[in-house]
Amino acid sequence: MDFTLKIWRQENRKAKGRFETYKISNISPDCSFLEMLDILNESLVDKLSHPICFDHDCREGICGMCGLYINGHPHGPDSAVTTCQLHMRKFSDGETITIEPWRAKPFPIIRDLIVDRTALDKIIQEGGYVSATTGGVPDGNAILISKHKADEAMDSASCIGCGACVAACKNASAMLFVSAKVSQLALLPQGKPEAAIRVQNMVAKMDDLGFGNCTNTYACEAECPKQIKRSNIARMNREFICAKVASEESTKR
Amino acid sequence: MKLIQFASITKKIALAAFGLFLLLFLPVHLGINLCLLRDDGGEWYRNASHFMGTNYIVKVFEIVLLASVLLHICLAIYLTIENWLARPVRYKVRTKTKTPFMSRYMIWTGGIVACFLVLHFINFYFVKLDLVEGKYSASIEQVDKLFQQKAMKLQQGELNEKEQAALMAQYQAISQISPEKMDKSQKNMVNLTKEEVIQYCGEDFKHVEPDFYTMSKDLFANKTYSLIYLVVFVVLGFHLYHAINSLAQTLGLSHRKYSPIIDWVSIFYAVLVPLGFAIIPLWFMFMN
Repeated sequence: MDFTLKIWRQENRKAKGRFETYKISNISPDCSFLEMLDILNESLVDKLSHPICFDHDCREGICGMCGLYINGHPHGPDSAVTTCQLHMRKFSDGETITIEPWRAKPFPIIRDLIVDRTALDKIIQEGGYVSATTGGVPDGNAILISKHKADEAMDSASCIGCGACVAACKNASAMLFVSAKVSQLALLPQGKPEAAIRVQNMVAKMDDLGFGNCTNTYACEAECPKQIKRSNIARMNREFICAKVASEESTKR
Repeated sequence: MKLIQFASITKKIALAAFGLFLLLFLPVHLGINLCLLRDDGGEWYRNASHFMGTNYIVKVFEIVLLASVLLHICLAIYLTIENWLARPVRYKVRTKTKTPFMSRYMIWTGGIVACFLVLHFINFYFVKLDLVEGKYSASIEQVDKLFQQKAMKLQQGELNEKEQAALMAQYQAISQISPEKMDKSQKNMVNLTKEEVIQYCGEDFKHVEPDFYTMSKDLFANKTYSLIYLVVFVVLGFHLYHAINSLAQTLGLSHRKYSPIIDWVSIFYAVLVPLGFAIIPLWFMFMN
């Protein structure tokens, strides 16, 4: 398969970026998207030019490192996969593919297609933890949890924090990410002690970092590689209202 | 700005709450408007406008309503600016993500409705506030009764010179009134300006309510206005299509069993309410 690639190149955070066009041919349909970029990079290195920088790690769709905005879709046109799990057979022969980095104020570009997603870690630091007692090892089944709740919590916990929700949102809002992180703990008894302060702190941090506001357009849900549901956002709103109304704990800002 | 201190979710909940009040008001407004379709010379419609214009409880809600409209608009603009600022560099390729119908364009559909609201205020609300000249009507029976009372007083010599002159002027004005100023039933004077009301009916009618019935009928007789009205209510339908379900999401009301019901209610509301409003200009276009 042959492709024309339009790729965003930017030297560093402050440099002015531009699109560069590359031609690539003889790509196997079974090649993954990142492998295709690897092949392109090898040819660039052969020509003694700087390879295209992009994030990746596990290449099996579980680490959340890779993330490219491909032809108007975060993680490309396939549904429920990360960029590394996207294959070239999803494109047509001779197609022009435009590759952009995640665009959001809290995600500054480091180089080319790599963005700094520390903002998501900062939100996690604000409340993505639970208290644990010291002492003997507790019995695994001491606290009963309904199957339904456990499944919901597990679904929420499957968020890999890739930032596709932010990239997809027309407002660059991180609500789906934050709500998944709030939900996975709020659904379980172990997460209850900090529930009220957690949601307030994480939302406050999200706002401080400059993410946009949710307008319930659900582009995040449509593009999430882990199919995190919009009901998480409703749950976070509910948790937030309950915390603001009923709890005496509030965020210190 | 102090507003920045509020959390994003708090601002969204406020936006939703103001929107909810507007959602509750809209069917009330529709009910009154549908009185226009009754062939009773405007009796029901005038009674309803009189009630809405004078009842004290309604007057309190009028302030709540105006505040809701203003704050809903201001907050929406504020949040939209914040949202634009959250992505200073746009994507080159426009998003191809599928999102619910019209959900991305709430600020634009809302903006069109807000523009119409300005026109609507000029046509009706500002007339009520006496900022814009409107049209007035008066019941002949009522005017006659007051005139007779004054005439009695005149006979008993209780009126001073100024009042006598006013009464004579009123008598002359009424005797020369053109037939166009009388409605079909010959019971009401219609299409009067405020000056004419005072001329024909005396100073006692200084605070007469505007005749919204005649004003509405005149507006709907105008084809351009009717067309604008129809287009705006289609746009309002688009806006409302993403209103109730979005409101439920913002207020945290999401449930496997009930959310589909909320979605259906949302669709029914978005279709039925604008349709109800749109029937009125269509009725005047095709039935008259």
